[in-house]
Amino acid sequence: MELVRDVQAGKKPFKRAYVGIFLWFTGKAVQAAARSDEQVKREFDALPDDFAFSMGCLPNGPWMVVGKEEGAVKYLGGNPEGRHQHLRLKIKNLEAAFLILTFQESTAMATVRNRIITDGELPHALAVMRVLDIVEVYLLPRRIAKLAVKRYPRWPLKRKLFGRFAVYTRTLLGF
Amino acid sequence: MNPESPISFTCLVKINSGDRALENLPMELSGFDAARPLIITGKDAADRKALRTLIRAFGDSGMTFGLFDGVTDTTDLAVIDVLKRTCLEKDYDAIIALGGAEIVDAAKVLNVSLSLKVPDARKISAETPIRGRLRPLMVVLTAGATGLETSSVSRFEGMVFRSEYLAPNLVVIDPRLADMGDGKRIAESGLAALGRLVEAHISTDKNPFRDAYSFTAIRLIAENLKDAVAGHGGKKAATAVGNGVAMSGCVFSNTGAFLLHKLGQVVYDVRRIHPGLTMSMAMLDVLDLYRRRDGHDLAALFHPLAGDEEFALSRPEDRVDGALSLLRRLIADVRDAMGKDTPRNLREAGVPWYMMEDVLERLEADPDGPYLRPLAERMWGEEPSHLKKGQPT
Repeated sequence: MELVRDVQAGKKPFKRAYVGIFLWFTGKAVQAAARSDEQVKREFDALPDDFAFSMGCLPNGPWMVVGKEEGAVKYLGGNPEGRHQHLRLKIKNLEAAFLILTFQESTAMATVRNRIITDGELPHALAVMRVLDIVEVYLLPRRIAKLAVKRYPRWPLKRKLFGRFAVYTRTLLGF
Repeated sequence: MNPESPISFTCLVKINSGDRALENLPMELSGFDAARPLIITGKDAADRKALRTLIRAFGDSGMTFGLFDGVTDTTDLAVIDVLKRTCLEKDYDAIIALGGAEIVDAAKVLNVSLSLKVPDARKISAETPIRGRLRPLMVVLTAGATGLETSSVSRFEGMVFRSEYLAPNLVVIDPRLADMGDGKRIAESGLAALGRLVEAHISTDKNPFRDAYSFTAIRLIAENLKDAVAGHGGKKAATAVGNGVAMSGCVFSNTGAFLLHKLGQVVYDVRRIHPGLTMSMAMLDVLDLYRRRDGHDLAALFHPLAGDEEFALSRPEDRVDGALSLLRRLIADVRDAMGKDTPRNLREAGVPWYMMEDVLERLEADPDGPYLRPLAERMWGEEPSHLKKGQPT
């Protein structure tokens, strides 16, 4: 009998699928919010013309890539390879990504617990975090969104209702 | 800068602690350019459960790793030699030790033989020079640790290896593993760490960096050990004790071996009794000895043991007695939580007199022998003074 045996690391298909779908949907929602929400639009306007960022988990993904192409914000898919990115938000592992994206842990708490690596300039990272917070407020019911964002914003009812409708419609229909 | 009192503090160990800390291992390995680690662990039930958790933590990393789960306290250099050859054949580029005590000692010696490219690991000795960085070594601590896992020391087959490069690069303390052992294992681990920390914290050569570590670690253990052993504190208390234990190794690397450590280690070498148990029997008698010697700052123990508020309200002249009283209460509480059958002296712990003679002989050979021998004799023959019934706490 061999003294040392080789063991292959297992798989986490459910968690991987959840994180993948969440990132895909969020990426599409960022694209939609940039067209529907003034604040998100302003945040992207202040960023470089060719700005792109990715968010995902180490070591093997999944990822989402969002960037500006010809002035419009677009979801650029799930493959960051070979694409210049100004900012990379890397969650250290799939388990941490699952914690964050199932709202068991807020982004702020995950950062405190050293689960996220930010690779890029701080102003870019802060702008993207503000955008992601707004998108989460649009996408999620208040009770869940409060777990995800540091401070739940006080928006007029009109912005919340019409914005949510617009973001969901654009995300699902993809325009 | 005062040239007469140079301060040096080296700690190459990174501590990665907290909820799901294990899942960071693949990323930490990639930071060392390692992708194919060898996991070394023991055969006992807690180690097997911990192993399943560790393997699950690698999920989705796509890694393949080697597994050797046969470390025992009789593992020798011949086994290390076989492991070294296997590592070279199968290209394992890092070592992960899962557990404590002899598992980590074996991992450290294996790392030396691999990194120094020793042709025959059976020829390694304590004199083998270790002057440079070794291969990545990561330690995943479990409840059975002794505190020396994070230190720059390894004891293997009666030899003592020392080098700052022996210390692991990374120590992982995950609540899922910290709480896995029974209360007795957590108690022994915490008491061994507490013994070494207390000795370092009151030692005559003051070092602010080391004191910062020992202060924090003493506080972590004092606040959490009783709850962790009794099972009231859950994973949080056990993880806090784990952190204290890990820090105690860093402190030990920057101090010498003092009386308590020597006592605990000699009894462990002869009879395999956990140093924590021995140290809990001797701690207050040893501190009493230090009190009568010049230069030991016993009052420094009061602050980490009592907390900020009590420290602020205390008078400086009361702090030595206060610290000893708190320590006495802490040890008594922990031993109570360990259960009624916790041995009160070495005889009850199963050390027969012929073995005790061996212990005494070894202690006598030490420069501190004149102090250590009477202490050990008392520990065998009678109940240590602070454990006697009716003793005020």
